[in-house]
Amino acid sequence: MQHNLAITPSPHVRSGATTRRIMQDVCIALAPAGIASVILFGGHAAVIIAVCVLTCVLTEYVYQRLMNQRVTAGDWSAVVTGLLLAYNIPANAPIWIPIVGSVFAILIVKQLFGGIGSNFMNPALTARAVLFVSWSSIMTAYPNTVFMTGGVDTVSSATPLAALGKVFTGAEGASLADVGLADLFLGNCAGVLGETCKLALILGGIYLFIRKVIDWRIPVCMIGTVAVMYLLTSGFNAELTLKELLSGGLMLGAIFMATDYATSPQTNLGRIIFGVGCGLLLFVIRAYASYPEGCSFAILFMNVCSPLIDRWTAPTPFGEVKQHG
Amino acid sequence: MAKKATVGKTFFNGLVTENPTFTLMLGMCPTLGVTTAAWNGIYMGLATTFVLVCSNLFISLLRKIIPDKVRIPCYIIVIASFVTMVDLFMQAFMPDMRAILGSYIPLIVVNCIIFARAESFAAKNGPHLALADGLGMGLGFTISITCLAAIREIIGSGKFFGMEILPGYEPMAIMTKVPGGFITLGIMMILVNAAKKAITRRRAARKEAAA
Amino acid sequence: MSTFFVILIGQILVNNYVMCQFYGICPFLGVSKKVDTATGMGLAVTFVITVASFVTWLLQQLLNMAGLQYLQTIVFILVIAVLVQVVETALKKLSPSLYQALGVYLPLITTNCVVLAVAQKNIDVGYGLLESTLCGCCSALGFTLALVLLAGIRERMEESEMPAWMQGFPGALIMSGLMAIAFMGFGGLI
Repeated sequence: MQHNLAITPSPHVRSGATTRRIMQDVCIALAPAGIASVILFGGHAAVIIAVCVLTCVLTEYVYQRLMNQRVTAGDWSAVVTGLLLAYNIPANAPIWIPIVGSVFAILIVKQLFGGIGSNFMNPALTARAVLFVSWSSIMTAYPNTVFMTGGVDTVSSATPLAALGKVFTGAEGASLADVGLADLFLGNCAGVLGETCKLALILGGIYLFIRKVIDWRIPVCMIGTVAVMYLLTSGFNAELTLKELLSGGLMLGAIFMATDYATSPQTNLGRIIFGVGCGLLLFVIRAYASYPEGCSFAILFMNVCSPLIDRWTAPTPFGEVKQHG
Repeated sequence: MAKKATVGKTFFNGLVTENPTFTLMLGMCPTLGVTTAAWNGIYMGLATTFVLVCSNLFISLLRKIIPDKVRIPCYIIVIASFVTMVDLFMQAFMPDMRAILGSYIPLIVVNCIIFARAESFAAKNGPHLALADGLGMGLGFTISITCLAAIREIIGSGKFFGMEILPGYEPMAIMTKVPGGFITLGIMMILVNAAKKAITRRRAARKEAAA
Repeated sequence: MSTFFVILIGQILVNNYVMCQFYGICPFLGVSKKVDTATGMGLAVTFVITVASFVTWLLQQLLNMAGLQYLQTIVFILVIAVLVQVVETALKKLSPSLYQALGVYLPLITTNCVVLAVAQKNIDVGYGLLESTLCGCCSALGFTLALVLLAGIRERMEESEMPAWMQGFPGALIMSGLMAIAFMGFGGLI
């Protein structure tokens, strides 16, 4: 109970909810996407998930033992980090990729700053960005699903995002029909492990919302902003917008990673700003930058901003006289 | 105390005790900016050492002539002249290295190590001490940034001084980029601080045992 | 208009001098403990860099005319040092309140290498007078952004259980490294 996630004394609704309880809920919510990934990408997906989770928990345990700290490796937060990291890795990546990523996430992003609740950037996302920048050819070699021609052993020639990007920029020969809506929704498309099956992710999100683990503001504002931006820039093309919302890492990021307590603002207004900011950056990076998917970088950048957002949106202390004029 | 010991001590002080990178934390921009490969570290370090030694010597010799009020512009002119010399020399004789180090060479002029040593050491001490200080600080800087550069080069491109040493290794490219620089230096600093603490503790223990 | 946007986004986000190119690290690490002081330093730097970009561009034309290009470094750094002094004196006279707020940081700006780096970049790229000034202003805003963001994180970290050996410089360096990862996403934006 010493390590409650809340770091500010604001009146949080989650009274009595321990870290372990919350983290277990997140794991339950992440389970459908994990099962879907094993169905879609086969056994190697399960191996990557297992390696990530084990390495994360082990790293946390060993570090805390070596540093003579209270061992909190059993609080399930390392499991969540491991799962989220695994969901951000393509299913056919070599086995050292999840190991390096997990060690980086737990050791450098989380434990160096004091462990759970003290990190200012999402460990899984930061590790994903590090892997992505370091070994981009491995991290962007998205395999086909078992149900697609060629199977898991073949690397997909075009992700839905790439195809939609061509439609967005008006490239020749690109049409919206190339990307099937049902395939996108059920996850039968190329991508990293856990991001493809939107149905599973949305189910998980609903579960977290019902259990009051996450606040609606960040995911809704983030997804909403992306939708509005695509509607505005594509001349109100609803089909393109819907497909853009369902492709890439948007759902995974918005529901599970942008809502991380330690790295997002504490105030309600702050959360709205955070969500809108994530959405805007994601749109800008997706549409104009050299990286195909902006979800992780958008959330990371807003993570960096969130101490300032908190500072600016903090409620005025009780009893302070408002100055006029 | 004999004069010779003092010169030696000043030199050692710059090299280890008050190492510009790890203790004084000066000159961070080139420390991080050029250290993507070990050779860059050596060249950058030597260029800085040259400027540091010359400016220290000059400022020490002129310390009684320079009026206190205009000392800062005077130091700047002395330092900038030597920097320009190094810059032109490198452009003429090692254009490849000059291209890699890029604008960090002219920027030696605003490297705070040089300015700080001029102000806090050379202006107060005789030329022989200033020379020893410049040499010690310069080499201390060179060794630190070369170590940092070698680590980043090994992990970030699988090479050591430009030679392939790890066949089959997939280089971790982020180490040669900006985040890798910050994080490597941060971790090195943690280790150096820990080592320093251990040494002081052992010395204290030895003193206690002797007493 | 498009050059305007390229310079604006480019200098603030994509080629941020601190986060993407390693310039101005000393003040970045040194003056980022508190958000308020970081903001003050950022404003002072923005002011000086904008004016310095304007003045150094004009001086470069003089140097070009006289064929003395090799004096660039000496002339620029002297101009910057003088400029910082002038700004300090002028502020003291014209706006004592602003001087009080920024006074401590002004002398430090001379050794902020962003000032000299921007001035030289303007000449190397071949910007005109207006573009140089704009580039200077945007670069400085980028510096300010990085500085204030780091200050926000460091303030928050004071409340956390960061181990003792991470306090101060090592922690600030690793935080900057992680921040730099977030900035990498803007690559190729322009």
